[in-house]
Amino acid sequence: MGRLVRLWLLVPFAIAMIVVVPLVVVFARAAGDASESWNHLVDTRLLDYALNTIALAALVGILTLAFGVPPAWLVQTQRFPGRGMLSWALMLPLAVPAYVAAYALTDLLQFSGPVQGWMREQTGWTRSDYWFPDLRTLPGAALILASTLYPYVYLSARVAFASLPRSAMEASRTLGCGPARTFFRVALPLSRPAIVAGLALVIMETFADFGAVQHCAVDTFATGIYRAWYGMDSQAAAARLSVLLVLGVATLLLIEWALRRRREHHHNTHRSAPLPPRELRGLRSWMACAVCCIPLLIGFILPGARLLALAIERGDRRLASVLECGLNSLKLGTASSVIAVILATCIVATHRASAGRSTGVLKTLTRYGYALPGPVIAIGVITVLAWGDHRLNDLWAALPGERERLGLVLSGTIVALLVGYQTRFLGVAVPLIEAGYGRINRRLDDAARTLGASPAGVFARIHLPNLRAPMLAASLFVFVDVVKELPATLMLRPFNYDTLAVRVYQLASEERLDEAATGALVIVGIGMLPVLVLARRFSTEHRAGGAGVRTEEVSA
Amino acid sequence: MISGTRSQCLRISGLRFGYQQGAKLIDDLDLEVAPGELHTVVGPSGCGKTTLLRLIAGLERAPQGEIHVNGKQVAGERLHLQPEQRDVGFVFQDYALFPHLSAERNVSFGIRGKHRRERRTIARRLLDRFGLSDHTDAMPHTLSGGQLQRVAIARALARDPSVMLFDEPFCNLEVSQRAAIRRDVFDALKADGIATILVTHDPDEATEYEDHRTEFFQHERRNHTQSHNEQITT
Repeated sequence: MGRLVRLWLLVPFAIAMIVVVPLVVVFARAAGDASESWNHLVDTRLLDYALNTIALAALVGILTLAFGVPPAWLVQTQRFPGRGMLSWALMLPLAVPAYVAAYALTDLLQFSGPVQGWMREQTGWTRSDYWFPDLRTLPGAALILASTLYPYVYLSARVAFASLPRSAMEASRTLGCGPARTFFRVALPLSRPAIVAGLALVIMETFADFGAVQHCAVDTFATGIYRAWYGMDSQAAAARLSVLLVLGVATLLLIEWALRRRREHHHNTHRSAPLPPRELRGLRSWMACAVCCIPLLIGFILPGARLLALAIERGDRRLASVLECGLNSLKLGTASSVIAVILATCIVATHRASAGRSTGVLKTLTRYGYALPGPVIAIGVITVLAWGDHRLNDLWAALPGERERLGLVLSGTIVALLVGYQTRFLGVAVPLIEAGYGRINRRLDDAARTLGASPAGVFARIHLPNLRAPMLAASLFVFVDVVKELPATLMLRPFNYDTLAVRVYQLASEERLDEAATGALVIVGIGMLPVLVLARRFSTEHRAGGAGVRTEEVSA
Repeated sequence: MISGTRSQCLRISGLRFGYQQGAKLIDDLDLEVAPGELHTVVGPSGCGKTTLLRLIAGLERAPQGEIHVNGKQVAGERLHLQPEQRDVGFVFQDYALFPHLSAERNVSFGIRGKHRRERRTIARRLLDRFGLSDHTDAMPHTLSGGQLQRVAIARALARDPSVMLFDEPFCNLEVSQRAAIRRDVFDALKADGIATILVTHDPDEATEYEDHRTEFFQHERRNHTQSHNEQITT
């Protein structure tokens, strides 16, 4: 029995390796010989990559705070026209991948686009008569990224504002602070760790973004890795860039962790019911509505409307190809989500059963895969799988008898994609399953055991039925993330195997946006599913008066 | 900082408040508290004691009746001064200390128009007065119940209010601590000439210190509340 228990611990270990091994391999690969290409990169592009990535992250951070925090405060604490609808509609930009927003918004606002065209038509101006902001710049890319990523900050800020202790807010008022001073001196400092957690996610996504920055012609580490891999054919240089990017992400996580730790003190004090919303009247109420509508307009309404117009006007004529890509996305999404839920359940269940520190560490490790940018994961996964293919082929050749070469059965097939998606998105499924497990009282396990159920019986008869909802949620979130994922898919897909995201990317990079619009709209439509689930869950939990959605779920 | 005797006090007249149509929680209440006096409000849970304090502090809007603080009308017909505009200190039942600020910064939170160093001096003096000079930098979660309560009182006093409101401040304390803390607090308030209202569900809470008492009775579950003022000879 003892040996069996120890063998069980191999399961979480093996699962955690899906995240750990690619990362270790990237580091190992970075140590390889790349002197020529690396020196060239250091001399020419590296500083640009670093400065652009930092400037972009800083700008996106500031803009997401501006787009996310004021609406969260207004929706949570004030009453104004449209508040009910805006409270969930503000999450809709989560459904729009940044690269899709980039394609739609740059098309809408470019010189030959409908906005400038209409402007010239009305005024009779020519190109030299006016100035118009160019989205294909670093600030433009920051605006696009911020308009699709701000919901992370909006959601975490709302959860924090909803759980502010009412008495502390009222105490501030009795101590001479008006509503604005109370916001800045009490509400904001108390909510800061949660807002920082949302912001950290935004910056991680910014670091990882490939499609939007590529379209806006901003060179960052993510595009640099892709270029070093395919353009310079230098895998070691790509790995070195990946290591720098991972170190950036690690620094970010450390800062976030330090701020979170400080928050833990705060939660030891008394809590009380949240403040009831205050009625805004007249001009103020309409201003509140406008503040909430701006990010929604940029992040969802404008890109959505433009894509819809393009799809109706022309759209993708090769519908058979769209269908094929859609089916590929559907298959990959379904398979990945099922695998992710099984693996996440295994690792969380073994941790619950063993309650050991090692399983806890392994479980935590799997969550950090989400912090790894797609190109980094792609390099790690393809290196490991290519090594595996070589060993398999060696074995195959050593077998007696004549036969054809086995080929790249791991790195050249969808296995690479499936593994890569697990490395990145297991971190989405694990917290959701963990939250579900957290709601199953351990006494239920004890009761079942005293009534004769075996550990497997407890899992099948107690845990599984109670985990249905979190499992569904986890599979939905992973499914959508897989459908939207671009850089890892681009680098890991087999030859002639396109997904919706890849097709949209390819058409858009050939400036065939009117054709890309159909696939992009399908991606947005699929992306709306979890947003609607999240919105429903958010509103019910808030109606129930609780602190609402867990941060992990928001992160997911 | 803490001024001497004041000429005005808290005056409430014809105050009404109800959550539902027809069911009044507070019905036609008159009440006066002179400087340095302690007025206790006693009654069972849910009869409107805390609501009365929230109306005085401006945390709820009074639909009918008038409230004067230190001679200035703060609530009346079409008048509702915001809490920050009233000369009232409030000690909450759960103390409501700001968890992100140290004891000293909690106390100096409400002091206005003074230099930072001066604010600090005032806060330290108050903490010292309540025996907390060793805990100026302590965060709220490291303090005991009694210490938390004293920080909360020092914080409310730091604004030099004319009226202090206490919402069951001793109910979270151990019985052994209560008498000593009560004595320290009420002696300080009387010495400063602050009109004080203490809300409690325990009729014996402050018998030895109180000057007046209002008892709230709850006859029916339909939130119908009667109140009367009863003079206590001191």
